[in-house]
Amino acid sequence: MNSRDRVLAALRLEPVDRTPVCNPTSVATVELMDLADAPFPDANRIPELMARLAETSYTELGFDTIMPVFSIIQESSALGCRIQWEQKDNWPTVKMREPIWETPDDIRIPADFLTHPDTRCVIDAIKLLRKRYGNEVAIIGKTMGPWSLGYHCFGVEPFLLLSLDDPGKTKLCLDRMKEATVQFGLAQIEAGADALTLPDHATGDLVSAEYYERYLVDVHKEFAERLPIPLILHICGRTVDRMPFIAQTGMAAFHYDSKNQPAESMEAVNGRVALVGNINNPETLFSKGAAEVRAEVYKNLNARVNLVGPECAIPLQTAIENLKEIPKAVRDWHRERAA
Amino acid sequence: MAEIADISNEFIRQEIDEFIERADERERIISLFSRSSPGMQAIAAALIDGDNELVDELTQAALAAGAEALEVMDYGLIAGMAIVGVKFRQNFIFVPEVLACARAMKAGMKHIDPILSASGIEPLGKVVMGTVKGDLHDIGKNLCIMMLRGAGFEVIDLGVDTSSDAFIDAVERHQAHLMGMSALLTTTMPNMGKTIDAFIDADLRDGVKIMVGGAPVTQEFADDMGADGYGKDALACVALAKKLLGVESRT
Repeated sequence: MNSRDRVLAALRLEPVDRTPVCNPTSVATVELMDLADAPFPDANRIPELMARLAETSYTELGFDTIMPVFSIIQESSALGCRIQWEQKDNWPTVKMREPIWETPDDIRIPADFLTHPDTRCVIDAIKLLRKRYGNEVAIIGKTMGPWSLGYHCFGVEPFLLLSLDDPGKTKLCLDRMKEATVQFGLAQIEAGADALTLPDHATGDLVSAEYYERYLVDVHKEFAERLPIPLILHICGRTVDRMPFIAQTGMAAFHYDSKNQPAESMEAVNGRVALVGNINNPETLFSKGAAEVRAEVYKNLNARVNLVGPECAIPLQTAIENLKEIPKAVRDWHRERAA
Repeated sequence: MAEIADISNEFIRQEIDEFIERADERERIISLFSRSSPGMQAIAAALIDGDNELVDELTQAALAAGAEALEVMDYGLIAGMAIVGVKFRQNFIFVPEVLACARAMKAGMKHIDPILSASGIEPLGKVVMGTVKGDLHDIGKNLCIMMLRGAGFEVIDLGVDTSSDAFIDAVERHQAHLMGMSALLTTTMPNMGKTIDAFIDADLRDGVKIMVGGAPVTQEFADDMGADGYGKDALACVALAKKLLGVESRT
């Protein structure tokens, strides 16, 4: 199996020759930026640099995927949010204290949404990668879900208060914003994406599992129907309480955080959705060494997690050696089992 | 020892029974409410329910009826927040519900603050709070600030994207002995350490206790960078602030 076949099979819950190594969020690090001569912030805004930095996950790290969307702000920028682009050592961020919308009636998806430079950049980067790598490696795109877009466009506090004060208006907001998710997703599929990460941060650090069920299960089911390639839902933080709901949505996979144990998470999804994860970022990949990385990889593999990789976007100062340890440990684990 | 039956408000009694599990917290909260009047309990109940309009109305009515501002704050608003904090820590409620309670607290405090300012009542302590340079996330910091204010601290909120110089300037200008830094991004966590180093370089480190928090931050990381304490959540932040300054609640 080549990398692409391996990833797509795992996302379909089909047998694989070995567990794929995958990061559905971001692999960018400062070291990789130097290697590829593709630093932030330009690598978030210029297709060639975006593609060049993204491909290092395959060429340098040995992952089975390439993911060119390092941030979570590309479509928010196209929707009109103000962005702090930062420098090489930090991710760009939406200025959420300057919300662009207050009510559902304010929601407008601009006519140039897909031709805006910051969405166009992603679409063009995926085209470049598809041309360069053909069917050799899985190319993963990213389209933000409406809950996350709500944080960006309404501000976190106003959006969360709205969700409590007026569930009807909140559902209307989600219904209107979800069209941006679909449009951007379809454009990336047309550009050649094999799968799409769909971050929608209804995290246990902010809202209850009941919230996920009330506001997002149906919306996520609709995404699974309207976006005709495997979708990888990403939610940070403690999420095991909502995994049974996530497993009902038709998403191909769930990218889960190290706040959830691999074994309990596998039990929660009960084979209805693939799990991707969940090597800890700040404490392990960023702060510790290869032995600790290996131990976490083994823990996931022992629990039969379907695709292994970092829990979220890799801290930009993470050492490459720690990242290379992930595919190395996966191969060793399979070799040991085979022996 | 006070009994739960000593509390007249049924809603408060139910909240304690249903959500306050730890014996020490249960004892403290029952003791607090058993000493409060039915009017103060009603304010606390409205706050726990996140009803900002009712808190506004009841606070005004209590003050008009002659209640002391400090009594309304301590036995109405802060007492209500004590239950909210525990419910949040134990995942009985989440951020939207806490934000609604904070909004209700604010609705009461807008009537209390001017009276307390005019009367010169000393806060428990002064705390400078901010999200570090390069980080625009502030919901965790804001929850900590709300709980600190609710506990009786004066808080100087520096907002987001706060440079080391801005922290130093605020600590000096306000003569604060406690400072809190927050970060949500793994890329901005190191700026906490850089800010602590800046205090050392400015020869100000010994005069200020520094606490840190934020989703990716851990006790280990806090120790490594030389912070005086780490708070996992807003309730822990308040306990840490009291410990670092060596103060106790008025009630």
